[in-house]
Amino acid sequence: MISSIKPYTFSIKSYCRKILHRAANRIPNAQISNQTALKSIKWIGEHVSSPQNRLILGASALLSQPFIDLNNKNVDKETRKNSAARTIAKIIVGTATGFYVRYYTIKAVEAMTKIPNNNRNLKWWETLLTPDRSRVAYKSLKKYKLAVGSIAAVGVMLFTNFLIDAPLTKILTNAIIDKINKKTNKKTQKDVIYYPQVHMSDLLSHRTEKEVGNV
Amino acid sequence: MSNLASLFRTKLLPHIVSGFGDMKVWLFKNYGTDPGKMLIHTGVAGWILSSAAQIIAIMTNDKVSKEQKMFMIPQEFADATVNIISFIAITQSVKYLSSKLVSCGKLLPKKVFDFLKNEGYGKAIGKFSFDIGKHVKMPKDIKANYNAFKDGIDVIATIAGSVVSCNIVTPILRNKYASYRQKENIAKLNKQNPNPNDNIRRTSLQTFMSNGSLKV
Repeated sequence: MISSIKPYTFSIKSYCRKILHRAANRIPNAQISNQTALKSIKWIGEHVSSPQNRLILGASALLSQPFIDLNNKNVDKETRKNSAARTIAKIIVGTATGFYVRYYTIKAVEAMTKIPNNNRNLKWWETLLTPDRSRVAYKSLKKYKLAVGSIAAVGVMLFTNFLIDAPLTKILTNAIIDKINKKTNKKTQKDVIYYPQVHMSDLLSHRTEKEVGNV
Repeated sequence: MSNLASLFRTKLLPHIVSGFGDMKVWLFKNYGTDPGKMLIHTGVAGWILSSAAQIIAIMTNDKVSKEQKMFMIPQEFADATVNIISFIAITQSVKYLSSKLVSCGKLLPKKVFDFLKNEGYGKAIGKFSFDIGKHVKMPKDIKANYNAFKDGIDVIATIAGSVVSCNIVTPILRNKYASYRQKENIAKLNKQNPNPNDNIRRTSLQTFMSNGSLKV
């Protein structure tokens, strides 16, 4: 089955690349000489990994997704409101757990990827994930630790998705919906228009609302 | 029993140890040198796992009726497919394009550009068939400069691509798909049940949420 799909996916990929090549050929050459910009790019390449990526994604998601949900004209107002509440809860919980799981898994992998040193006695687990020095160049070891930590975090998230994310998202969604409903109820109570009960007989006898006693 | 233990120690354990060593080297060579690629692959794995968690959560939820499960499981599956395809297509394309812009010389640090010009690559710079990493032999400091710049641009492109796909394209597509399925479902139920109010209540998002099936 995979071999029968492969030619199609390959042709889609090559077609996309052809379009990208054409578009890119129109881009003029650019050189960056600003040292601050170059240092920032280098810093991002070395330090920004999956935890920071998750934080950036979460922060930008909070700025865009609830508004997309609130402006979804294909569903009714109530659904829009609930969907936005659910999205906000999902983003907050998902980002918080996603960040911490990735961050601590990378820390754990770092503790298990120490370089063997003659001057220091290391425990067996401290070099458990250290690759063979004769087969790789250790200058990329930092990126390797980030990569292995991020991969391990995916495995950890298999459990946290069920144990933390799902129940917390549900609790937070309900809390947000309750808050919105309370606010809406207060507003509707304030906005209730008062209609005085004036009977036809009062109107006929030209009695005012004050005289009727309904104010 | 002792025979089994010695057999494990002499025959099986060396294979496990060497396999584990090979796996570490493979991870180092594949992801240790390309942080952008690692971000995309772990991102896709994360999407797949969270969607699987959602589907299992629906399947094991006793409060959701069999009929609702029949609708919600394919819906969740389709939702995950849309998410993953848009994530791969957009993030991978942005990463590929930015990586290519650097490797062909369209976007470079001035120091590397000057070096290439001095070495006689002036006409080749900026052509898509040109690959600095493959075609040019660079001194150590220039190579380190080029690699650090390329890694940084890769990470920036991956983040930008994932922000566009996850936070703009996917929610719009998902909302369109969900409302289309909601309307289709209401129409189907209207055919079966003449009381339309009951049907709308059954398929509303509020009911869906009160059943406890929440997206992670």
